[in-house]
Amino acid sequence: MKALGISGSPRRGGNTETLLDAFLEGAGEGGAEIEKIVLRDLGFSSCKGCNACHKTGVCVLKDDLTEIFERILSVDILALASPIYSMSVTAEMKAFIDRGQFFWARQFILKDLSFDPDHMQRHKGFFVSTAGQNWDHVFSAAYPVMTAFFNDIGFEYRDNIIANNMDEYKGIKGHPTALTDARKAGASVVAELAKLS
Amino acid sequence: MVIKILAFAGSPRRHGNSEILLDWVLDAMRKEFDVEVEKYPLTEINIAPCKGCNACEKLNTCVQKDDLTWVEGKIIDADIIILSSPIFCMGIAAQPKALIDRAQVFRSRKYVLKLPIVPPERKGKRIGIFLASAGQDWDYVFDAAIPSVKCLFNVIDVKNKDIRYLMVNNVDEKGAILDHPSAEKDAVALADEVLTTMREMKRE
Repeated sequence: MKALGISGSPRRGGNTETLLDAFLEGAGEGGAEIEKIVLRDLGFSSCKGCNACHKTGVCVLKDDLTEIFERILSVDILALASPIYSMSVTAEMKAFIDRGQFFWARQFILKDLSFDPDHMQRHKGFFVSTAGQNWDHVFSAAYPVMTAFFNDIGFEYRDNIIANNMDEYKGIKGHPTALTDARKAGASVVAELAKLS
Repeated sequence: MVIKILAFAGSPRRHGNSEILLDWVLDAMRKEFDVEVEKYPLTEINIAPCKGCNACEKLNTCVQKDDLTWVEGKIIDADIIILSSPIFCMGIAAQPKALIDRAQVFRSRKYVLKLPIVPPERKGKRIGIFLASAGQDWDYVFDAAIPSVKCLFNVIDVKNKDIRYLMVNNVDEKGAILDHPSAEKDAVALADEVLTTMREMKRE
């Protein structure tokens, strides 16, 4: 079983990436093979909006995302991590998500890719995020973006691993429960998927 | 008094639906004698994503010296600031999101350093316009983009009541908006209303 975490934070080792690490460690302890990709370290462009993939099912851009998208469908657990900037995911994470347009085109225009309910059940997506603000609704506008992406790649959007009010807690390590909860969530989704197979 | 209009075409596709919508607004505005219009497609200027370093909270400026260094001044000087973007995956496209995230420098100035964004005599006399297009026909397709737009306008001292939205769904292929029954008329009416309101603001 494979768990892949993708970190969309421009900062290394910050609150969101630490939370992602806890989730992945939990998944690892549960028995999954874990991998983390840091978008900041990659070279890639954002979607050009050319719609070529609507005809071909393939993105015209060839860069560091190409290889990741080739194998993203083969992981069992996918955690997309981004801090909240201006009430949504970061520009890097948005660029990553926008590049997934060809999956959408293949499913809904070309119809050469489809995912049945059993497949969706066996592929779990998580959104990992932190926010400085203490508002309850600070993550709300990011959820539809995640819903769209997980739907495009045939993953059940299982849960949010989120913690707000980072400014008050002086960072994720000051949060009373977030890291423990993330670790538990990682372990428990592995156990759940193991039962299905 | 001249009305300064600053517009960003946020789409990665040049002359597509959201930019056509923007051009309708700008063309209507350019017909007036008292306006100065500047338009920058984000594909033509270089604004990198925010690095999240928080240095602007102390320095009052961004450590990244790209085109934002001069764009910043134009944002402050403008009376009307317009951003257009297509909706990709239920959010604003990545390029305009980078511009919005880099407006963190204004947030730091306003809320951390407690310094003014515009001179006192121009406070409350700014209007923001968000123009968007979406391929999907869902009514709620723009909902998740709006909070980010509000963040941008808030930190550059445009009040919520002074933000206008013109968002057109169900236009996907390039130029599809040309066949929309009301988009062009709505864009021209918006330009007219915003200029009238700005003239009143400037007289006050």
